[in-house]
Amino acid sequence: MSTYVYGIAASSHPALPEGMGGVGDPPRPVRILREGELAAVVSEAPEGLRPKRRDLLAHQSVLSEAGAAGSVLPMRFGSVAPDDNSITGVLAERAEHYKERLRALEGRVEYNVKANHVEEAVLHQVMAQSPDIRGLAEANRESGGGSYDDKIRLGEMVAAAVKAREADDATALRGALDSAAEDVSVGPESTGWLANVSYLVDRESAENFLAAVEQARKDMPHLEVRINGPLPPYSFVEPGPAEPAGTVVSGTDTGAG
Amino acid sequence: MTVVPAQQTGGGGGSSGLYDVLELVLDRGLVIDAFVRVSLVGIEILKIDVRVVVASVDTYLRFAEACNRLDLEAGPRKDPGLPDLVGEMTESGARGKSKGALSGAAETISDAFKQARDEGSERQGESRPRARKSTSARRKEEQE
Repeated sequence: MSTYVYGIAASSHPALPEGMGGVGDPPRPVRILREGELAAVVSEAPEGLRPKRRDLLAHQSVLSEAGAAGSVLPMRFGSVAPDDNSITGVLAERAEHYKERLRALEGRVEYNVKANHVEEAVLHQVMAQSPDIRGLAEANRESGGGSYDDKIRLGEMVAAAVKAREADDATALRGALDSAAEDVSVGPESTGWLANVSYLVDRESAENFLAAVEQARKDMPHLEVRINGPLPPYSFVEPGPAEPAGTVVSGTDTGAG
Repeated sequence: MTVVPAQQTGGGGGSSGLYDVLELVLDRGLVIDAFVRVSLVGIEILKIDVRVVVASVDTYLRFAEACNRLDLEAGPRKDPGLPDLVGEMTESGARGKSKGALSGAAETISDAFKQARDEGSERQGESRPRARKSTSARRKEEQE
C-alpha cells in the first residue's frame, strides 16, 4: 500500500493533525510517522490520485492545520512513497538537512503576492506618455479605425509599452515590499501577472508586511495586488540558489548542504 | 474535526484566489526524489489555457481597439449616437464586472479556470463580436 506524504515536521511538533481527512474520496485519515527527531505527515495514497480540486485543497488544508501550530516543510502536491518504511528511511538519511530547514522556517509563514495592471488605467498611462502611440491611434480613428495592418502596428506599440511598464511596476512593487519580509522567492513569470513573488514573513510581525501591501495598493492604484496567506512556506523549503541581491536574510539560504 | 479549506487558504490576507494558491501547491514545496509524483497532465493544460499570450495578433487588435475606445471616452468626437459605440461601452462595463469576479474568491478550481477562459474570450471578442468564433477557434488550434 503506497503512502501519500503531506509534509515533514519535528517530532516535537505540538499538534500534528492526526486523524484529519486527507486526500482521496472518501478522505484518507492523516497519520504521523516518527523517526528520531522528525515526523512525516502522511496518509494512505488513494489509487489513481489526480490533481482534482478537492485533493489539492485537502493537501493544502492538512498543511495549513499542521503549520498553524508549528514549523512544517510542505511537500509539493502528489508525492507518493511506496510504503511507510521508505519515508522513515528518507527522514533518517536526510535528518540534518530537514532539521536545519525546520529551524530556519520556525515561526515563519509565506505570503504570495501577485499583481496585474488594471488594463484601462495602464492604457491611459501608455497613451499619455507616448506621443507616437497617441498619434497612431488618432490616425487610425480618423480613418474609421484603421486598416488591419494599422491596428496591428498600433497594438504592437501599445503591447511593447505595456510590457515595459510591467517590468517597471514589478520593480516598484518589489521595492515597496521586499524590505518588509525576511526572504523573497520570485515565482515563475507568466503573462497572467506582472509580479508573482512569495515572501517569508515572521508570523509575529505579519501585520507590518500586510501594512506594506496596503500602502503599495494605495501608492499604485493602477495595479491590482492580490495577496494569499498565511501559507505553509512552500517556496522556502529548499535553500534558494539565486536569492535576489539586496534581500538580507540570515540563515535561511545558507548552510544546508 | 471540521475543516473549511476555502477560509483557511484565504488566511488574513484579504480576497483569496484559489488559483493563486494552487499554483504554489502544484509548483512549489519540497520534492523528494525517492518518491514518485502523481501525474499532473490535466492541470498543466488548464494552466496554459488561462495564461493568455500577450504577444499575439489577438492582443494587438484588442489593444488597438481599446485605445480607440479610450480616446472616445476622454474626448468624444464621434457621433455618440453610433450604435457600435454604445455596444462597445456596454461590453466594456460587463468586462469590468467579470474581472472583479475573477479576482475575488473563486469557489472552485474549475470555476476559476472557466471564468478565466470566459473572460479571455470575452475580451478578445468584445470589440468585434463577429470575429469571436474565428478568434476562439484560433486559440484552440494554438493550444493543441
